[in-house]
Amino acid sequence: MYIKVKDLVGENAMTLADGEAIYGRIHDPLAQGEAVELDFDGVQVFASPFFNAGIGRLLADLTSETLNARLKFEHLSDFGARVLRRVIENAKDYYTANEDQRNAIDRIVRDNAVVA
Amino acid sequence: MSFDFSGCAFLQPNAVVFLGGLSRVIHHRGGVARFLLDTMTDPLRVNLLQNGFAHAMGAGTAPWQGNSIPYREYCSQDQDGIAYDLRRNWLGRGWINVSAGLANAVVGQMWEIFANAFEHSSTRVGVFSCGQFFKTRRQLTLAVADFGIGIPSNVRLFLGRPQLSAAEALRWAFQRGNSTTCRLAGPRGVGLDLLKELVRKNNGTMLVYSHDGRAHIDQRGETYENLDPFFEGTLVQIRLSCDDRRYVLSEEAPSQAPFF
Repeated sequence: MYIKVKDLVGENAMTLADGEAIYGRIHDPLAQGEAVELDFDGVQVFASPFFNAGIGRLLADLTSETLNARLKFEHLSDFGARVLRRVIENAKDYYTANEDQRNAIDRIVRDNAVVA
Repeated sequence: MSFDFSGCAFLQPNAVVFLGGLSRVIHHRGGVARFLLDTMTDPLRVNLLQNGFAHAMGAGTAPWQGNSIPYREYCSQDQDGIAYDLRRNWLGRGWINVSAGLANAVVGQMWEIFANAFEHSSTRVGVFSCGQFFKTRRQLTLAVADFGIGIPSNVRLFLGRPQLSAAEALRWAFQRGNSTTCRLAGPRGVGLDLLKELVRKNNGTMLVYSHDGRAHIDQRGETYENLDPFFEGTLVQIRLSCDDRRYVLSEEAPSQAPFF
């Protein structure tokens, strides 16, 4: 599967919503063994909410080995790559944390979302 | 409510966004904010006309280009509009020596402030920004304010620790991996870490006022303190030094290692 990211999110890949749009397109194909290529040609600005929602979440149920083998990034700027690496590092920490601790955090997030 | 500017020679960007946001809160609650023009000095009046604050508040005079970065009110997370404003009106004026690629990188990091304001604050009156180039000090400032929940309240609610001091709540929020966003269950909390890195590497400062807490971050480190005045919202001010060297984001060479 080939996805031209600019066609989905425009020149600025910065928001959670845009990241969720990418995640929604790539998660199932990746989980089913398909190779995915994300082409960032024409995308100029990157921020962590986009990568958190679009890429970091993949580590919830897909291994690093799987993602390294199946998910390719093309034309990602040096800065975009640096933000992405930071997000992935943080996501690994998050998903390797004690499961009880993680569930507690997610429960609090859900409860707060209801309150808000 | 009337605002009297007697004794006020100049309004820093943080004061401008505070005043703008406050006037919208007053309006939102059914009141009217009045700015007493005859109490303003001429330089102050010119500054507020030039940066567009006066126009946003109903004055007929349109803003013009000067050393101020235009006052803006964003009612929604308009990522393209905010990125355009930052690139053109803040970084694109030649005050900082950045390539187009680096400007995009800085815009991405500054966006983290706006993203935090929209994602965390649940603001009902929008997000406000304004900036200023201080020619003699060679400093570029950008202030962003919201009148939402505030970081200490968010952290206390998130951690279930109502007694946590504002300073400790801010300290928690500024640690990598910590975030209170309700929009995404999963990994988060990298943005402020990236922003701190930008500020430190370029001899800048970041000041955050939220409720009764204050955070100060620069090359020397981070300080968090409790304050007496209570601000119902969050105000972030970034100050970057405009020296002659090219801006840097990291000494790290691009890695060829696998991403995951």
